[in-house]
Amino acid sequence: MIDKKLRIGMVCPYGWDIPGGVQIHVRELAEHFVAEGHHVSVIAPVSDDESISDAWLVSAGRPVPIPFNGSVARVLFGPIAASRVRQWIAQGDFDVLHMHEPGIPSLSLLACWAAEGAMVGTFHASTPKLRAIASVGPLIEPMIEKLSARIAVSQMAQETLNNLYGTEAVVIPNGIDYARFSYLSAEEKRARGAKLRIGFLGRFEETRKGLPLLLEALPKIVKAIPNVELVVAGPGDQEKVLDRLDSYLLRHIRFLGRLSEEEKVDFLASLDLYVAPNTGGESFGIILAEAMASGAPVLASNIPAFVDLLAIGECGSTFESENSADLAQKAIELLRNSAHLQQLAENGRDAAIRFDWASVATQIMSVYEVAMTGQGKVAVGSENASWKKSR
Amino acid sequence: MMTVVATALVLILFAWYLSFSAARLDRLHHRVETSWEHLDALLQRRAALALEISHQADLDPATALILTQSAYVSREESIADRNDAERSLSESLKFLRDSARNDEIQISVPLLDELSALTEKITLAISIHLEAVNSVSKLRAKMIYRLFHLAGKATLPKIYSFEEDSL
Repeated sequence: MIDKKLRIGMVCPYGWDIPGGVQIHVRELAEHFVAEGHHVSVIAPVSDDESISDAWLVSAGRPVPIPFNGSVARVLFGPIAASRVRQWIAQGDFDVLHMHEPGIPSLSLLACWAAEGAMVGTFHASTPKLRAIASVGPLIEPMIEKLSARIAVSQMAQETLNNLYGTEAVVIPNGIDYARFSYLSAEEKRARGAKLRIGFLGRFEETRKGLPLLLEALPKIVKAIPNVELVVAGPGDQEKVLDRLDSYLLRHIRFLGRLSEEEKVDFLASLDLYVAPNTGGESFGIILAEAMASGAPVLASNIPAFVDLLAIGECGSTFESENSADLAQKAIELLRNSAHLQQLAENGRDAAIRFDWASVATQIMSVYEVAMTGQGKVAVGSENASWKKSR
Repeated sequence: MMTVVATALVLILFAWYLSFSAARLDRLHHRVETSWEHLDALLQRRAALALEISHQADLDPATALILTQSAYVSREESIADRNDAERSLSESLKFLRDSARNDEIQISVPLLDELSALTEKITLAISIHLEAVNSVSKLRAKMIYRLFHLAGKATLPKIYSFEEDSL
């Protein structure tokens, strides 16, 4: 069974040309399966058809911005999108369909509606209870039930799924390309400069990413460890942040702006400590896995997603979320003990290998196999009857 | 003697001006409230209409999901919590109207007409409400209103982002 090359159809609900965790996950998973020799086709909303550079990507039309859970999601729905998805399924001759975020009103839900056969759904987000779930549950539940197997990317996502639809899922983490991340020894890090580097990566203007908290802790850290430097990577307006800082701190902070994937690898490898002060809204925290793979010890807020991820081994530490004093204290303790830091870095490096696509994609393939048991090819459902009856 | 009379006159004039200003602000505050009530009633009707469309029209589940969920939130939550829902309704109903015009989707003519009429009314109600909110904000920013605390305990009216969307 393993040796058989499959025809896999994947559905991405969010605009393909907009940066986002789900899009990256789908892209890397698709690339991995293509490299293994499987046939993969991904359908997604695309704003600019000219930007399509992969032969395996199919556009279902331009996404529509819909406010959802406090941010704007670029999704696609409506009759045209539905018929494109149906056509894609009919022509794809797929062995298995893999829907990402089928609970979001977008392409994945439409694909669930249209298809019959081996279907797998991956749930990425952990959302607080939807207020209108009582009203919309009857719309989504029949779709979720059609999935032959469900995957949640974290314990949090699994709990969300359980709360909303009362259904269970296999937990398979998000993947990283482990081999791409390099690792510097303690001596090599020192050779790059005498400063101890604390790193932060993300859209730092978003409060929930937690940079304000880290800045609040910075004076205490600087006082205890004068040769410390905070390096902030990610898109945003640095002037707004710098304006609010005391001038003596300016020597201890550096902004790198948006990083390319290669720059990110270098950045993470150069760090003595990666700090993730997020205050919430994270379901998995792929950046922690990437920091570990780069041998950067992690200090993260104790939000459930991070606690969960760090539980895989002694490769980092947590502080009380939204408590800058605790953040400062934990950071100082860690930075003062270089032997401990070194140990954490090595542990992280060893632990992160489980997030490599080689391992993650194998687990996903096993789920495909379960889903395909006793099923023929994926086909377009007859008149999508289950949906109409449920109303 | 003259100066006493003149001072008294100035004080009286000033007191009258203060009370005049306070009354003016009060009137504007009242206008914000009534224009909001009017807008809110229209938004409630829109939510009801969205539910009706999602039941009657032959919609795909994704569209039905957006309509139903936003409509429920719009009817049940306070304004601070339903900004997102109103924006979703604006976006998805606009999308539906365009689809119906291009014959991609069948929505019964009476429903479509009602939706068009309602959208026009909401657009108008929003602009009236925004105008009232802006006049209040402008007036309250003036020195005399701040200095003499003429707004009392009335909260500064707020503009919600759904009011800035094009319908």
